[in-house]
Amino acid sequence: MAGIRLERVTKRFRGGVVAVRDVDLDVAPGEFMVLVGPSGCGKSTLLRMIAGLEPVSGGRIFLGEKDVTDHLPQERDVAMVFQSYALYPRMSVRRNLGFGLRMRRTARVERERRVAEVASVLGLEHLLDRRPGALSGGQRQRVAMGRAIVREPKAFLMDEPLSNLDAKLRVSMRAQLSLLHQRLGTTTVYVTHDQVEAMTLGQRVAVLRDGTLQQYDTPQNLFRHPVNLFVAAFIGSPAMNFVHAAVSGGAVSFAGTRLPAPSALSDVDRRVVLGIRPTGFSPSADNGWPTLEVVPEIVEELGDERYVIFELDAPRVDTEAVHAALEAQSADDALLLPENRARFTVRLPADVPVSVGEPLRLAVNPERLYAFDQDTGAALS
Amino acid sequence: MRRIRRWAPGLLLVAPSLLVLGIFVYGFMGWTLRLSLTSSRRRDINWDYVGAENYRELADETTLTGQRFAIDVKNIVIFTLAFVVGSLVVGFFLALLLDRGVVGESFFRGVYIFPMAISFIAIAIVWRWLLNNGTGDQLTGLNKLFSLAGLDFLQSDWFKSDSGFAIAAVALPAGWALSGYVMALFLAGMRGVPEDLREAARVDGAREHQVFWHVVRPMLLPVTMSALVILVHISLKTFDLIYAMDLKSLKIDTPALFMWFTTFEGGFFGSGAAIATLLLFGVSLVIIPYIWYSVRAERRS
Amino acid sequence: MRAALVVGKYVALLAFVCFFLMPVYVMVITALKDPAQVSVARMWDLPDTVSLDGFRAVWPKLQNGFVNSVLLAVPVSVVSALLGAANGFVLSKWRFPGADFVFPLILFGMFIPYQSVLIPMVQLMSTVGLQGGLDGLILVHIIYGLPITTLIFRSYFTGISDELIDAAKVDGAGMLRTFLYVALPIAPPAFAVAMIWQFTSAWNDFLFGVMLTSTDYWPITVALNNIAGGQQVPFHQVMASALLACVPTLLVYVLLGRFFMRGLMAGALKG
Repeated sequence: MAGIRLERVTKRFRGGVVAVRDVDLDVAPGEFMVLVGPSGCGKSTLLRMIAGLEPVSGGRIFLGEKDVTDHLPQERDVAMVFQSYALYPRMSVRRNLGFGLRMRRTARVERERRVAEVASVLGLEHLLDRRPGALSGGQRQRVAMGRAIVREPKAFLMDEPLSNLDAKLRVSMRAQLSLLHQRLGTTTVYVTHDQVEAMTLGQRVAVLRDGTLQQYDTPQNLFRHPVNLFVAAFIGSPAMNFVHAAVSGGAVSFAGTRLPAPSALSDVDRRVVLGIRPTGFSPSADNGWPTLEVVPEIVEELGDERYVIFELDAPRVDTEAVHAALEAQSADDALLLPENRARFTVRLPADVPVSVGEPLRLAVNPERLYAFDQDTGAALS
Repeated sequence: MRRIRRWAPGLLLVAPSLLVLGIFVYGFMGWTLRLSLTSSRRRDINWDYVGAENYRELADETTLTGQRFAIDVKNIVIFTLAFVVGSLVVGFFLALLLDRGVVGESFFRGVYIFPMAISFIAIAIVWRWLLNNGTGDQLTGLNKLFSLAGLDFLQSDWFKSDSGFAIAAVALPAGWALSGYVMALFLAGMRGVPEDLREAARVDGAREHQVFWHVVRPMLLPVTMSALVILVHISLKTFDLIYAMDLKSLKIDTPALFMWFTTFEGGFFGSGAAIATLLLFGVSLVIIPYIWYSVRAERRS
Repeated sequence: MRAALVVGKYVALLAFVCFFLMPVYVMVITALKDPAQVSVARMWDLPDTVSLDGFRAVWPKLQNGFVNSVLLAVPVSVVSALLGAANGFVLSKWRFPGADFVFPLILFGMFIPYQSVLIPMVQLMSTVGLQGGLDGLILVHIIYGLPITTLIFRSYFTGISDELIDAAKVDGAGMLRTFLYVALPIAPPAFAVAMIWQFTSAWNDFLFGVMLTSTDYWPITVALNNIAGGQQVPFHQVMASALLACVPTLLVYVLLGRFFMRGLMAGALKG
């Protein structure tokens, strides 16, 4: 078992595009680490650099204690699972599984033993003589995983392996991956653009944006203590609600509402971007929390809960960080109709009576208010 | 840099091919060019440089060489025009007929393209007879067919004609051989137009021929350019066909043929090399932009 | 109105079928005619009796050429295809710096007029003693076939996913093993295209054949041209010999036309 250490890893493509910039990461041996970010953030490039498929422009990569920065992929001891599975089409499942061992000149007896073992672990015994073309998507995925497992490598590298599955299958496969990791305990670097996957699978998650590492922490910490606007907007679904607000005299005001400011801002006089998660509200109750009255515009029913969406009398927060998190190219991309006002989404239990147009009083948890610098996006609380 | 290890094996694998092509294509082209600047004759290749003398002689219509070359140039222009236009028109028309799908399409396609599989020598042998210009009880070939059909006015001396356009007759077998290929190109181009585009136009109210004119036709430009370039370069290279049809006839002489005769029968190597270089120049004029454009298009996608 | 158009379409298609098959008709009926029936005036008439006399008479003269062409076309198609596969693989999946610059240079070789390399080629071949026999001709066809076979395989390999090659690398395979174990096994369709195209090309060539071989080693095209150009050779024999010369490539075309078509289209550089 080996850990992976990245020191100031940089990737510069011809033409000047910097895909990865000075990334420092430390994956502990046996850890399941997820690299997440919107498309184009450099996560796949980073993964490929760890695999050796992409030469490094700057920095060093360590596999265990060994500096593998200049090693070809054939010389590193990692196994990779690809988004498209990349199974060798003219080889049987058996030969697909055994290919890596053959290339490393493992003795035939050993090879056959390992292939049989992995096949039985993944339920592939009856498929061993079939070709990938004769397998279903889920079966192919298992073979792709099996090919990696059979090599008993120092680390698994996975490039969005669940993206090609449909939604329900993806959810069950997620659980399977976790189980597998518990069983095998191999160091894993997992790349995805889906923050739900990242949160559910990762022991630690690295959030990337435009090639730069934003935050590297446990899922809980990312959720509760985002270090900037981008991470706050990216993690969590539905996304955090934002509005421009003014802090003064220990209170934050926006759209005709005043709420007590987070303690870190009690003596400050400035404008901020205020963030509240959809789960930061609750139906008004006598718990001393500040309240605000809103008029629901849209109510989305989800069975046990509902999302209530209302407009605020304040302009929409339009910063780049927010767009990037929503994977929108520009302000207009996320909207069907042009609009300028901020809209909040609140998650409420289904037993609270709500109807469109009927004023509703909501309580805001003062501990769950976030404030960010309007220009840099850095967290202020 | 250690990075070399990544790509060196690949380079090594293709190196022999690159070397060999470097010699046999570019090396030889250069050698021919050099030769064209000498006064080599009578198979005695010397390196006695005479500059552009050979080229001047080709352009000088007071010399025998120049006169013949002038005829050649005229012929190749006529041939190229007749052949290219004919093949484009027929190929396009056939593709149009087949585009929307017909019963027995594979059969039709198979028939129109099969001439590409046979040698130009065989083609020349048959068409030599078909284009025979015998008269009276020697009437045969297409002329006889026209006579049987009552279309006597279509009869002609074909490639033995004194009209100066004899070479246009050779465009018939050439077009016969290549039209199917052009059809295949156009068909691929027409069918490459996504069906959604056509359907959107139909839903918008366009009738079938309007769909073709407004949606399909504009997207055929690249294919037409491809076909044009390929046809022109084949036209300039054509040798076997004319050689086997009537090699000694000046009426259908072309630069390609002249080059062969002047070099291997006359022994005027320097002159032959000059003609060859001119042919190369002519072909390059269309092929280089074509390759450059194709490579750029590929890079963009 | 619609019906008239449809009928018109089929009429036109069939008319062109007649145009394209007309020379074949002439070739076949003439080849099958009895020597006595062969006359210029009766060219379009079907033979009264079918006679194989023409074939019988001409085969001995053609036999040598036929064998030579087989000895030429088969090695050429196999070797060109193998080399093209290696080149195509490297140029598409294991690129080196400048690969995208080298490829157009290779491609240009496909379009050059052979006249521009003919003289030095003949000189070289005769200097190294490869003129006269089939060896030189085989070599030359392989060399000048490299551009088209490289193009065919490069286009084909470009279509396979890069991830497959990446998977092989991570699994521990270097270039050669990736080529042998991953690329070649999926290349049979491209092999078919390249081999069929090169076979046809070598079989139908005349210029190189006539320049580089001596009488005993003439390929069939040269033998055919000799028969046809000879004085007083009866038409039925000429047509029979032309027909015989076309049989192999036509057979390939009819049975494996699909691959032939792909070779055709590859040459149009459809990106």
